[in-house]
Amino acid sequence: MEDYIVEMRHITKRFPGIVANDDVTIQIKRGEVYALLGENGAGKSTLMSMLFGMYEPDSGEIIINGKSVKMRSSNDATAHSIGMVHQHFKLVDNYTVAENIVLGMEPKKRALGIFPMVDMKKANEEIAELSKTYGLEVNPTDKIEDIQVSVRQRVEILKMLYRKADILIFDEPTAVLTPQEIEFLLKIIDGLRQSGKTIILITHKIEEIRRIADRCAILRRGKLIDVLDVKSTPSQEMANLMVGREVSFQAHKSEGKFGDVVLDVQNLTVQNSAKFDVVKNVSFQIRAGEIFAVAGVSGNGQTELSDAVYGMLKAHSGSVRLMGKDITDLSIRERCESGISYIPEDRHHTALFLDFTLGENLAIRRYYKEPFSKKGILKFDEFNRNADEVIERYDIRSGQGRKTTVRSMSGGNQQKAIVGREIEEHSDLIIFVQPTRGMDIGAIENIHRQILAERDRGAAILLISLELDEIMELADTIGVIYNGELLKIAPADTLTSMDVGRYMMGVKDA
Amino acid sequence: MEKVFIDGLSFAMPLLVMAIGAIYSEKSGITNLAVEGFQGFGAFVGALVAVILMPTLGDGSQTVIYIAMVAAFIGGGIYAILHALLCINFRANQTISGVVINILGTALTAFLTSTANKIMNGDSSNKFILGVCDRFTIPGLSQIPVIGGFFKNMYAFEFIIAGIAVAAWYLMYKTRFGMHLRACGENPQAVDAAGGNVARTRFIAVMLSGALSGVGGICFAYSISANFSPSIYMGYGYLAISAMIFGNWNILPTAAVCLFFGLAKSGGYQLCLNMGLPSNYSDIFMMLPYVLTLILLVFFSKKNHPPKAVGEVYDKGKR
Repeated sequence: MEDYIVEMRHITKRFPGIVANDDVTIQIKRGEVYALLGENGAGKSTLMSMLFGMYEPDSGEIIINGKSVKMRSSNDATAHSIGMVHQHFKLVDNYTVAENIVLGMEPKKRALGIFPMVDMKKANEEIAELSKTYGLEVNPTDKIEDIQVSVRQRVEILKMLYRKADILIFDEPTAVLTPQEIEFLLKIIDGLRQSGKTIILITHKIEEIRRIADRCAILRRGKLIDVLDVKSTPSQEMANLMVGREVSFQAHKSEGKFGDVVLDVQNLTVQNSAKFDVVKNVSFQIRAGEIFAVAGVSGNGQTELSDAVYGMLKAHSGSVRLMGKDITDLSIRERCESGISYIPEDRHHTALFLDFTLGENLAIRRYYKEPFSKKGILKFDEFNRNADEVIERYDIRSGQGRKTTVRSMSGGNQQKAIVGREIEEHSDLIIFVQPTRGMDIGAIENIHRQILAERDRGAAILLISLELDEIMELADTIGVIYNGELLKIAPADTLTSMDVGRYMMGVKDA
Repeated sequence: MEKVFIDGLSFAMPLLVMAIGAIYSEKSGITNLAVEGFQGFGAFVGALVAVILMPTLGDGSQTVIYIAMVAAFIGGGIYAILHALLCINFRANQTISGVVINILGTALTAFLTSTANKIMNGDSSNKFILGVCDRFTIPGLSQIPVIGGFFKNMYAFEFIIAGIAVAAWYLMYKTRFGMHLRACGENPQAVDAAGGNVARTRFIAVMLSGALSGVGGICFAYSISANFSPSIYMGYGYLAISAMIFGNWNILPTAAVCLFFGLAKSGGYQLCLNMGLPSNYSDIFMMLPYVLTLILLVFFSKKNHPPKAVGEVYDKGKR
C-alpha cells in the first residue's frame, strides 16, 4: 500500500451558481511534488483552500497521514503541518520580515520578570537561522514594503517553515516572478523536497510542471480529468487535457512588413502625483505593422507610459507624435479620434461601465457621433445593430446577448468585448496593456490571434505585458523598462527571454 | 504664564486618553468617529455612579471620583459594544455608525440624566453636580523655571492618565495582542492566515476605545465643568480624533499634539484675559484649537499613513 500523506476523497464544493469542485479525489504521496494543473476557474485554488481550512467542503473527506480530519480554519491546517503560499501574499506591509513570519506564534518573554511581551530579538535570531538552513535569504529586520516581490515570496515560504509545515502548498507561485527568480524558486522547491517536504503546486504553466513535478492532476471545470506521471506524458497532451481540445502553443506569426512610423515618442517624462519621475526621458518609435512590446517588472513605469501616450496622464516633458501630428497636448477624445485604441490594464476601472449593458458598452467609443446619435438623441437601433455585429464577430458569450449587464459576464468575455470594441475602430495605433491578464489558455490564444491580425492589417501596436512568454511570442521589437527608463530596445529575434529577464532586473549593457 | 501650563496640561490629558482610545480602534481597522458619543456615555455612567454614592461617602470624597472613573471606563466600554456590533458583526458602514452613536449618545444621556434626577430628587434637571478633582503639586519638579508650571496644581487624574498612556503604548507595541491588533488594521487576511481571530481582536479594540473615551469624558466633567450634562462634551471627541490623525496614529506624537491643543486653548484664554478684552471675545480665542486644526490639516494631511484596512469590512472569502 502506498504511503499517502494527504488524501482528499470525493470532494464536492458548490458556490452560488457554480460547482467549483465536483467529486474530486486526489492522493498525494509523502515527499513528492504534486502539481494541480488547470485553467482559471477550474477549481484548483478552491480545492487547496479546503485543504488549508479556508472553506469547508460540502461533501467528501480529507485524510491526513491516514486519519480523517476536519479543517475548520487555517489553525487546523497548521496543526496538521500544512502551510500555504497564497497567490496574493498575506503579509503586513509595515511589519518587518520577522514580525510577519512569527505573527500568530510569537516567541514570548517577560519584561522585568512580570510583563509578558513579544521577544523580537529571539524571533530575529530564529528567522536568520531558518533562512540560512533553507538558503532563503532574507533580512529579518527589513520592512515588507521595502523589499521586492521575490523576497516577499521567500518570507511566505519561511512563514510555513517556521510553523513546521511538512505539506507545502504553492498557489501560482511564479506568476509574479522574472525568469531568473523562477529559476531560483524552482531550485528552492526542489531543495525543500529533498529535505523531506511534500509539495503541492498549483499552476497553469506546463513548463514548470515539466521541470519539478513528479505527478500532475488535471482539473477542468471542477472535475478531475486525469492524474498523470509527468515524465511519461508529453506537454502537448497535458495542454490538450487541460483545455479539453487541441491547442497550439505557438501563435502563427508571419514575417513582419513594417511601414511608416506611426507613433513617435521623444524624451517623454511623466510624473506621478507626488511629482516623482516615473517615466524618465523615454524615446521610441513604432512603425505600421510592428508590435512594440514593453517588458518589465510590475511598477516600473509601464502603466504610466501607456497612460501618457493615451492622454490619461499628462506628459511632464517630451513629445508624442502620431502619424507625424503632435498629440502631446490633446485631450483623450481628440487622441481617440486621431486614431488610438486602448485596451487598458484594469478593465473594470477604465474600460467598462459594469452596470451598463453589453450593447451600450460596445458603443461607448462612438455614441456621440452619427449614426449612434442624431442631434443629441441616442439611436438605440444603431446601438443594437452594432452590438449584434461585434458580439457575432468576436464571439462574445453572455447570458442575454447585448442586453446582458457587463458585470455579470466572465472576465474573459469582458475582455473580448473590449478588444472587439477597440479593434472595430480600425485605429492606426492600438495599445494593449496586459491584454491576457487573468485569462486562460483558450482565451489567451484567441486574443493573441487578434493582436497578430491587427498587426498584419498594418496597425502599430504597443503591447505592455508582465508575461514574458507573451512578449517573446508576439513582439517584433522589445523595449525593456526598468525604473522608468527604457534600458534596452532591440528586435525581438536578437534577444532571449533570459536576456530580457536580466534587463528587467536593471542590468545594463556593459 | 504658569496658569497656561497648568490649564493646558489638564485639558491635554483627558484629550490624550480619548485619542489613545481612538488609536486602538483605528489601528485594529475600525474607523472611530464615535469617540464623542463614547466619552459622553462613559462620563454619564461615571457621573451617575458618583451622584448615587455621594450621599453615603460625602460630597467632597475623592474616593467617589476614582470609583466614577472606573464606572466611566466600564460604561464607555459597554456603550462601545454597539459600535463594535454594528461595524464587525453587521458590517455596517463605520462612518455612519460612528455618527449615529454620537447623536444617540447626546439624546440618550440627556434623557437618562433628567430621568435619574427625577427619581432621585424629584426635579428633572439635566445636570449632575459633581465637584472638582483634587490637585497636587510635585515638589522639586515644580520649582524648575518656566516648565515647572506643568507640575503645579495637577489633577489626580492626570497621573492616572499618564499611567494609562504608558500601559497602552506597551500593550500596543510590545505584546502579542498589540501586534495582532495593528496587523488587523493593515492586512486582516494576513492575521486570518496566521491563525488569528480578526473579529475578536477588533471587538476588544473598539471596547477598549469606548472605555478610554469614557475615562476622558469623566475627567472633563471633574475638571472643566464640575458637573455632568450632555452639553459639556462639545466636540472634544472630534478634537481627540484630529489629535490622533496629526499624531499619525501613533501614541507618542499624538500626546505631543494633545499638549499642543491644550496649550493653544489655555494660552488663548489667558491672552484674552491679559489683553483685558470683554468676555464675549473669549469665544474667539476658544476657537484657537479648532483653527489650528484647520491649519495643521493643510500641512499634515499628505504625509499621514492611516492604517491600510481601516474602514473596510473584513470579508473572509475576499481574495
